[in-house]
Amino acid sequence: MVKLTIDDKVVKAEEDWTILDAAIQAGIHIPTLCAHESLSRVGACRVCVVEIKPNGESNLTTACNYPVEAGLEVRTNSGKVMEARRLAVELLLAQRPHSAKIQKLARKLGIEEPSFTLKESECILCELCVRACREIVGVEAITFIAQGKDRDVDEATVVHSLEECIGCDSCAYVCPTEAITVDDVDDTRTISTPSGQLEFKLKKCKVCGKYWAPEKQLEYIIEKWKLEPEIFDTCPDCRD
Amino acid sequence: MNKVVFSSWGGRVVDNRLGTDTGVENLELPLEYDGHRVRAFMSWQGLVVVDDKVNVVDMAHSYLKEVQKLSCGECSVGYLGVRVMLDILTKILSGKGVEKDIDLLRWLGTGIKANTKCDFCSLSVTPILDTLNHYDGEYTKLIASKRAVPESVYITRVTAPCMEMCPAHQDAPGYIELIRNHRYEEALELIRGTNCFPGMTGRACVAFCETNCVRSDIDNPIAVRALKRVAADYEMTSGSEPEFEERKATGAKVAVIGAGPAGLTASYRLVLMGYKVTIYDERASAGGMALVGIPSFRLPRDVLEREVDIIKKLGIEVKLNTRVGKDITLEQLSSQGFKAIFIAIGAHMGRELGIEVEGRGMIDGVEFLHDVNMGKEVTVKNRVIIVGGGNVAIDCARTCLRLGFKDVTIVYRRSRVEMPARTEEIEAAEQEGVKITFLAAPVRALTEGGEVTGVECIRMELGEPDASGRRRPIPVKGSEFIIETDVVIPAIGEKPDLSLIEGKPINITKQGTVAIDPSSCQTNQPEVFAGGDCVTGPATLIEAIAVGNRVARSIDQFLQSGKVTSPIEYMVENWLHDVALNRQRDGNIVAKQPRQTAEQLSIPDRVLNFNEVEQSLTYEAAAKEAERCLRCYRVMLLATASEE
Repeated sequence: MVKLTIDDKVVKAEEDWTILDAAIQAGIHIPTLCAHESLSRVGACRVCVVEIKPNGESNLTTACNYPVEAGLEVRTNSGKVMEARRLAVELLLAQRPHSAKIQKLARKLGIEEPSFTLKESECILCELCVRACREIVGVEAITFIAQGKDRDVDEATVVHSLEECIGCDSCAYVCPTEAITVDDVDDTRTISTPSGQLEFKLKKCKVCGKYWAPEKQLEYIIEKWKLEPEIFDTCPDCRD
Repeated sequence: MNKVVFSSWGGRVVDNRLGTDTGVENLELPLEYDGHRVRAFMSWQGLVVVDDKVNVVDMAHSYLKEVQKLSCGECSVGYLGVRVMLDILTKILSGKGVEKDIDLLRWLGTGIKANTKCDFCSLSVTPILDTLNHYDGEYTKLIASKRAVPESVYITRVTAPCMEMCPAHQDAPGYIELIRNHRYEEALELIRGTNCFPGMTGRACVAFCETNCVRSDIDNPIAVRALKRVAADYEMTSGSEPEFEERKATGAKVAVIGAGPAGLTASYRLVLMGYKVTIYDERASAGGMALVGIPSFRLPRDVLEREVDIIKKLGIEVKLNTRVGKDITLEQLSSQGFKAIFIAIGAHMGRELGIEVEGRGMIDGVEFLHDVNMGKEVTVKNRVIIVGGGNVAIDCARTCLRLGFKDVTIVYRRSRVEMPARTEEIEAAEQEGVKITFLAAPVRALTEGGEVTGVECIRMELGEPDASGRRRPIPVKGSEFIIETDVVIPAIGEKPDLSLIEGKPINITKQGTVAIDPSSCQTNQPEVFAGGDCVTGPATLIEAIAVGNRVARSIDQFLQSGKVTSPIEYMVENWLHDVALNRQRDGNIVAKQPRQTAEQLSIPDRVLNFNEVEQSLTYEAAAKEAERCLRCYRVMLLATASEE
């Protein structure tokens, strides 16, 4: 256990926690967008920015992935923090003005409209989908393509691979901006992603006749957990 | 003293625009290169204006355009913020700016500086903020004029402290980012752009990059070498082969003498350019010093063979067991139609210890490693002394242990800090049981009945630094002592065997290496090039690869135009080298994260065999390690007067 101060409140934290973990535990709200309790933290959205003074000197950092230290002083809403958070949210809002989550963040900061315009994009590159696919599902169907030196890339993107994807929809579930959506119609699931649409055949329940899960996902689970193939012939509702 | 109009370099502002003439002392920035005047310069440490006729707003725009291309997209503020700033600058320069754009730019720049994930965007906006804070009048004038400004042409360069330190200037931040995102094939493609031996260097490189990693000022340097290996091993274990673009062999014939890292690298580049390449090597296998000098517990043979094969398969003819100078002469090569010759024969002759030895039990270090690596029988006894402190000495000692020597001692004339061998290697040797006697040098070998029985050594103390910068060892009178031993292995440096050019009109230096023009790698015979250990004396794998790249470029130029000239980019490259090595960052807080280390074979599991000691990082550990990289790319923009 270490003790640190968040907004003048002394907070206890486990040694492997981040500032965000400690704040949540102490009931102190820090706004987030790309942090998820079940996924690794990457500090992509910059919304959870806080001010710290590790050696007396004031610095900004992201609460989601900065480890706690004994005696650390954290400010979650100083002038410096609010100014930096405002820029991060304005940039995100300019890029994705129709996202309810981003609109809510903006409203809380009193932002009505961004001070600038930006080419709109559904995907804000938060990497939640990449992490969910890799860390929870155990598949590597989504790749983050960054810009870089001598790279033939005009824009950073996130690309789904049909070959790898099992159609489970975890990516759509975690996506904060509806850049990835899922639509099940009859026997087909369509996953719409920034890099195009992917289609999956759904499995029909032997008992009720409902299409209930992508066949590819069920095959993946059967293989991964070494299950009897017949186990998924019926949907969970019809199983006793 | 450099006279400038304005400078904010390194955060120190000097402003002479009002007619004062203070000059700038200690500006670590030469304002002239190869006779070309520098009019203005912009990079992560600030803005320097020498000629007040430059348009700093236009410079800021061109500079940010380069920054934007490198802004990766892994954080919103850097990626989007730089885009918005660039849009606003474009608008101002097209005559459509408004007064409040200046404040907006300042707000964005300050925000990017304070809250980005890595160092790149936050450091990159420094000179833009300097223009906004010190040249705001220029912005105001431009906006008020409502006129479009034509874009000027600047020289730009992208580097990083690690890239600059690497002799081959490999794009480490680039492939580290790809490995972070599990894109190993693309990482390898990027690596091969400057280094055709990712698997070999991923294991045996001395990693100059890591010695100049910005992260070392925070916690520990990025494990760049280990990360490269992860990408190389991914390809090797998946059984796939790199793909190369279709090419036609239409160019002239080039002969390469020596199938070591330098010769193979040059051949690889030349064959990809379309030349017909034939390599000659006196040994029965290709690989040069990497094959005979690096033991398999550091560089497994299958890794080396695979990477040599990839090059061979491009259509290079490799004539093994052929010694140029004996089986075929340089003149014969010329008469066979080779339009350019690259001498890359390495340095394989051990230097003599300079002590009298009569009797068996003395074998030179390189010869010893060669014999073991090539599978020759070597005599194994109880005790051995290795003389020297370089990697060859350490490799000999670790090899001796594995062969079954019980008592292995290195004798080195200076102290531990002066040892040229890599620290990890020295530590590994000691862990395995190698003893090191520092500050001692042999003076006489003791023999009995024709066999070595011991070495008389003398204690040394360290005096003033010598030409190498290391403190010179001085013998302590009367301190002689005897170490008993059965075998003595001198490993005190190697020199090239230049018999192939002796008596030919090719110049040799006083040090006994091939003399070349360092900018072109040409000998005094323009069609004969030389590089690698035969020019520099014993050096490293990556230096050989770097020179191979450079020689290929020179040979291409020579065969295209008859002469080798340094293009302006290379002059600028040399000019900016010292500036680019600078590791300064601006103090943004970075949480300490431990460096990931790979598994090593346990001591008992490794000392009685030649199995590879270091294992590969797992993919998860590699991604975690890659996440530590601060992406310290530096964009440099230069306004020059070269067109005048």
